[in-house]
Amino acid sequence: TGGHTTEILRLLSCLSESYSPRHYIFADSDKMSEAKIHSFEQKRAETFSNSQFTLDRIPRSREVRQSWTSSVVTTLYSILYSLPLTYKLKPDLILCNGPGTCVPVCISALLLGLLGMKRAIIVYVESICRVETLSLSGKILYYFSDYFIVQWPDLKEKYPKSVYLGRIV
Amino acid sequence: FRFKDSLAEDLRRADLVISHAGAGSCLETLEEGKPLIVVINEKLMNNHQLELAKRLHRDGHVLYCNCSTLVETLQSMDLSTLKPFPPGQPEKFALFLDKVVGFQ
Repeated sequence: TGGHTTEILRLLSCLSESYSPRHYIFADSDKMSEAKIHSFEQKRAETFSNSQFTLDRIPRSREVRQSWTSSVVTTLYSILYSLPLTYKLKPDLILCNGPGTCVPVCISALLLGLLGMKRAIIVYVESICRVETLSLSGKILYYFSDYFIVQWPDLKEKYPKSVYLGRIV
Repeated sequence: FRFKDSLAEDLRRADLVISHAGAGSCLETLEEGKPLIVVINEKLMNNHQLELAKRLHRDGHVLYCNCSTLVETLQSMDLSTLKPFPPGQPEKFALFLDKVVGFQ
């Protein structure tokens, strides 16, 4: 969604063309991200001739301030939905930055890894908005990601297993 | 004016920006190098959105007030005390990721 998309596109901005093909996954309720992604990829195609990318939508796992019990149900539904998608894409690397959408995808990837089908490296970058506290996705994925990146020193102190590179967006 | 696609042009022409504490608004404004006054809505005090605005204020990049003190802030402000906001460095992320993935 919105701010998350802008941030993640900035994270991608300096990546080499070895990071290809790129598969973007976002929430079905998201109206603006598709345009931003197309615009980013179009610009990228001006420099790199062999740019490949795809877009997929999954059901949004949780609305802002949605209750706990209904969140579990909607997240489970999103996981069921994203399992076949993750299986199809078999990513080597998953990069996410916080929207609820990323949790089902990461959980799917972890399951695929456990079943011996595909081991993806999960890299989570917490949003620049998070200075003192982690988002809910962050709190969950702090334990399940391979690399957990924070952008402010207070968070590095609170979450010692995290990586601090300064502001990267 | 309700929902423009992009405020970039308006931002570039502005001399001063007064905004809510939304991260997008704050960062876009600071990246354009414009002075920014962030107005906090006290009723939303528990919103995590405030974290960034508070930090930016602590680091001297923005001025801070609430609705009732806005006029006073505008009258007494000294924008020269605001420190420039250096851009983020996605190159550092790219370097890190290259190492993680094994592209070196």
